[in-house]
Amino acid sequence: MSLATKIGNITIRNPMILASGVLGTTYSTLNRMYEAGLGAVITKSIGAKSRAGNPNPSVFALNEIRSVINSVGLANPGYQIFREDIEILMKNSTPTIVSIFGENKEEFKEVLEGLKDLSVLAFELNFSCPNTEMGGAQIGTDPDLVYEIVKELRVKTKTPLWVKLTPNVSDVIEIASVAVKGGCDALVAINTLKAMVIDIHTKQPILGYKKGGLSGAAIKPIGIRYVYDLYEHFGDKIPLIGVGGIFRGEDIIEYLLAGASAVEIGTSLGVAYPENMIRFFQMKIKKYMKEQQFGSINEMTGGAHR
Amino acid sequence: MTKQTLPNDKPIMGKIVEKWEECFETYCFKIKLPVKVQGAKPGQFVMLWVPGEDEYPVGIAGLKDSILEVGIAKMGPGTEAMHKKGVGDLVGIRGFYGKSFTPPDDVNHLLIGGGFGMTPLKLLTETLMSTEKKQNIHVFEGARSEDRLMYLEWFRDLHNQGKINFHACTDDGSYGYQGFPTADLEIFLQESETPSVIYAAGPEKMMKAIFDLGRKFANVIDMQMSLADRYMRCGFGVCSSCVVDPTGWRICVDGPIFNTEKLEKISDFGVYKRIETGEKKRI
Ligand SMILES: Cc1cc2nc3c(=O)[nH]c(=O)nc-3n(C[C@H](O)[C@H](O)[C@H](O)COP(=O)(O)OP(=O)(O)OC[C@H]3O[C@@H](n4cnc5c(N)ncnc54)[C@H](O)[C@@H]3O)c2cc1C
Ligand SMILES: Cc1cc2nc3c(=O)[nH]c(=O)nc-3n(C[C@H](O)[C@H](O)[C@H](O)COP(=O)(O)O)c2cc1C
Ligand code: FES
Repeated sequence: MSLATKIGNITIRNPMILASGVLGTTYSTLNRMYEAGLGAVITKSIGAKSRAGNPNPSVFALNEIRSVINSVGLANPGYQIFREDIEILMKNSTPTIVSIFGENKEEFKEVLEGLKDLSVLAFELNFSCPNTEMGGAQIGTDPDLVYEIVKELRVKTKTPLWVKLTPNVSDVIEIASVAVKGGCDALVAINTLKAMVIDIHTKQPILGYKKGGLSGAAIKPIGIRYVYDLYEHFGDKIPLIGVGGIFRGEDIIEYLLAGASAVEIGTSLGVAYPENMIRFFQMKIKKYMKEQQFGSINEMTGGAHR
Repeated sequence: MTKQTLPNDKPIMGKIVEKWEECFETYCFKIKLPVKVQGAKPGQFVMLWVPGEDEYPVGIAGLKDSILEVGIAKMGPGTEAMHKKGVGDLVGIRGFYGKSFTPPDDVNHLLIGGGFGMTPLKLLTETLMSTEKKQNIHVFEGARSEDRLMYLEWFRDLHNQGKINFHACTDDGSYGYQGFPTADLEIFLQESETPSVIYAAGPEKMMKAIFDLGRKFANVIDMQMSLADRYMRCGFGVCSSCVVDPTGWRICVDGPIFNTEKLEKISDFGVYKRIETGEKKRI
């Protein structure tokens, strides 16, 4: 029995990947999370210029629904500075996926050009952040733009390109199809859902940016549905990576059965002992595979469709 | 039922029930929380939401009958907005976050700090005084001038009652002796023959100096320092705004209090901090 999984032509030691933006601002947390047992890690989304992000409050928990709302807004130091962190990760042989974003096509190209010589596992194109005026989800809801960007980046690098989809569209298949047509190597679903919280005493939206994106347990059934729909449409044609609300090993199994080859985990690692969470995830997957007599992760992929 | 801590949740709205000017550009507030809660430990912090303005971490200076005490030093727009708040106004609280000081028994407790770093040290002093055993408590406070010494009267009263030893100093000599609090600490350590633990909270450069000093003395058996001069967003470990290198520890959950063993591993300590973008800046 092996936990290793294939995502297109890359293989990672197990299907658990750190989701972008969670514990991913620095080489040191990324190393820490890999050493804790994840299969690979994804950096915070990196853009062309340094960005301070949105005013605080920008992240808080919603205890009742075991979820988090955030409006961080792609705060990042810019690729020129972050390059040093990636270099350290490469030296440490940490399997790293770099999430990149741009305000427009030119910026996506600039960031990719600036980092493509590094031997990262893949680039994840963030077309799906709901927390900025430009770029992010704005691009991710425009099929023509998605197609153009993926196509242009495709010819610039041999490194796999993953496209992270926003759930904030009426037809995810349309966007996914143009990304595949443009030449991406995997689809990642989902990013956060548009959300908001208002304090009824002061009558103020709590987030400094007023509006934000929801992650955590509340969005898991939605993520499962997106992955299921994508698998239903594409089958084995393109690897899928499931994200959203993974809090237990069972949730990972559910994503695999829905059609994912791997998963990304974010919110649930925002605890005092993420190392323990990862250990529990791994134990549960192994136990399930043994009970159900699965020899590999990829055998489980799409199991709910058969 | 009284809770031992608050759940990690959206801000709960507390009402300001008392406000006073503590020292130069520093106001203290008592905030009545809407739930029954106790269990805030010295060194822990809350995220304070000033509605419509800003949210940022502040240390817990006290918690009694579900009334939270905080002390806010003016830094920029966020802290200024809080200074404009008054009795009756609502502010949001998330917490209690972070690891606390963990004082052992049978040592000299040497509390040293300056500025808003005195807030967790106030609660630590109270906690130490409330233990069954009589504790040997020394508080070293430094500031630019007398009007900037936080909780001066409070510490002076305790000193006069013989409950603590208060050593104050100012850069200009307007109160206590003239110089940095490290000088007084050094004299104490030179003369003392019993084991001591140092608890520090204040500007990171000052803590680094204390750390380097403490390491020279065999009678210092541990140092616990609050790395509270750091940018934070979430406060509970999800965003990684507050991470230190090369360990990947998050100040908000793996700290803010770190002991000697951990501080030695943090190469950023006293050298770099992170700003909003995630970039490192020299301290
Ligand atoms: C664990 C911890 C405990 C703290 N306890 C206290 C306290 O008890 N009393 C007190 O007055 N201050 C405390 N602070 C510092 C306080 O959070 C900052 O002074 C405050 O955020 C400044 O905001 P501003 O808008 O007034 O200033 P700005 O002009 O926005 O910033 C001034 C400086 O404050 C710091 N800062 C700004 N935003 C944040 C943020 N979100 N998180 C952390 N630092 C920030 C930065 O170093 C910045 O350079 C604490 C900080 C931490 C990390
Ligand atoms: C604080 C925070 C910051 C995030 N930042 C990014 C980001 O920079 N880029 C990105 O593609 N996704 C970002 N996300 C979304 C996550 O990668 C993930 O898609 C989402 O949180 C759902 O997964 P989860 O429920 O396991 O957290 C962020 C999420 C959170 C909570
Ligand atoms: S402030 Fe978010 S991880 Fe510490």
